[in-house]
Amino acid sequence: MSGFDIVATDQWLLGPLFGIDHSFLRINKETVIHTWITLAVIAALLFLGRYFLSKKDSLGQFFTLNFISFFVDLINQTLTEFSMNHFIFVTTTFCFVLGCNVISLIPWMEEPTTDLNTTLALGLVSFFYTQWAAIQVYGLWEYIKGYFSPFFIMMPLNVVGKLATVVSISFRLFGNIFGGSIISSIYFQAIQGNFILEILGLATGVNLVITVFFGLFEGFLQAFVFGMLSLTYLSLALQGEGH
Amino acid sequence: MAEFTEYFHFGTIALTTAINAIGVGLGQGITSKAAIEGMNQQPSAADDIRNTAILGMALIETAAVMGTFISVLLLLQTRNAVDSYYTSLATIGIAFAICCSGFVLGLVSAFPARAACIAVARQPFFSPHITRFMMISLSLLQTPIIFGFIVALFIHGQAATISTMRDALRLIASGMCIGLGSIGPAIGLAIFSAKSCEGIGKNRAAYGHIFSFTLIGQAIIETPIIFSLIVSVSLLFLVPGTGQEDLLDGIALFAAGLCTGIGTLGPGISSGRVAAAAVEQITQRPEAHGVLSRISMFAQGLIETAAIYAVLISFILLFYR
Repeated sequence: MSGFDIVATDQWLLGPLFGIDHSFLRINKETVIHTWITLAVIAALLFLGRYFLSKKDSLGQFFTLNFISFFVDLINQTLTEFSMNHFIFVTTTFCFVLGCNVISLIPWMEEPTTDLNTTLALGLVSFFYTQWAAIQVYGLWEYIKGYFSPFFIMMPLNVVGKLATVVSISFRLFGNIFGGSIISSIYFQAIQGNFILEILGLATGVNLVITVFFGLFEGFLQAFVFGMLSLTYLSLALQGEGH
Repeated sequence: MAEFTEYFHFGTIALTTAINAIGVGLGQGITSKAAIEGMNQQPSAADDIRNTAILGMALIETAAVMGTFISVLLLLQTRNAVDSYYTSLATIGIAFAICCSGFVLGLVSAFPARAACIAVARQPFFSPHITRFMMISLSLLQTPIIFGFIVALFIHGQAATISTMRDALRLIASGMCIGLGSIGPAIGLAIFSAKSCEGIGKNRAAYGHIFSFTLIGQAIIETPIIFSLIVSVSLLFLVPGTGQEDLLDGIALFAAGLCTGIGTLGPGISSGRVAAAAVEQITQRPEAHGVLSRISMFAQGLIETAAIYAVLISFILLFYR
């Protein structure tokens, strides 16, 4: 417990190749490899979904269509009109975060979202997509004028408020997944090596409860919250706060 | 100094169990009272109300179980003969991390359980949904005590190796940050969950909207706890122990923990009250849930900015002393 690291030690150093060393040029090896594996799993599931769509009246087709129509309904309810771009963005974000959160169910895998870099990147992607969509709707001039409303003096507050959304959305995802993964790793470390405790954990179902609650339930919930909040920030930016 | 060492160590062992037990006892009393009142109102639903109350009380008990676990762990590893004065001083951090969150959580977890019992009495045929909803919101409500528990285990692991007042203050600050920091959000979460349970009891047509809004609302309200956890973990792992005595440095670290711990109190409570007001309106007009939830989230985001300022000051104190 005392030797627990939150800063990754296993890194690829790109800096020395160019003769400089900077923390931006270091890559956390485990996070990147686990993200690639997650992407491979998601891609495989996508091809499976495509295959199911071609089979009429099958169970797979039912699930795939339900999944899609759930998101279409969500977009329709939150934004006033359906938009294909926003639909693709929100669904992709949800699927990626969900995959990252529940990948620890596969043995020897760690959630990439326990690394603050991943969640911060996701938060920034969501933030910039929202700003880009707002500029598309209002035009650059109106968008910049939005920062100076209602008064000129409010500009710093508006900027801080915008940046605070990035911090809160990414730290929320990180903290929840990180806390859950610590709890399950502490539990499995504690029972490891003690035969009686391992049998008890298996027989009473405590192992199952901890894995399902902190792995599956919390992961699904946080992915839903992340997607939903991205959508809410998007709808706030598109419909405007004072327009 | 030997007598002080034992005082802190055994004091922490006693406090973690005792204070959590007081909070949980009060909370379970409130729940039982609501259940009995509900049975009095609606005798035909007595079985459903009893099930709901028992499940609620089982979840309220989490705080007491965590407190007892930490007490037993500390008691089994009593090592006064080799403990330094500073190691015992650092166990105050464990007491803060577990006691503050455990006491408040045991007490406030009763509000959703009470609201759920009354809601079942009002709508007996909807009781499976109400019970399931209460279970989900109560298990999400236990986040602060789980985080307090993690930090307490980390403090316990590090306490054996420290030998300076600076490091003792650092560990106490870490415990205080998560302990005090979870009070406000826990109260806010409880107010909000109680209003949601009550709302489902009043208007079951709004169940779907209230359910999805509750998941999102709880995630936003608990953000200050996540900030506290991040500052706590930074104090534990990102600020290394130097091994040299530097009291001023220790006080700066202590202030960093306290800043986030106290700074999250107001945002947590008021964010919960905003969301509770929104859920009350959704109960009355489910068709307007889109507008209501959007405005509520916008207001909560503004309120959260205050907590982010506190975290910013904490990080400046931590890394740019």
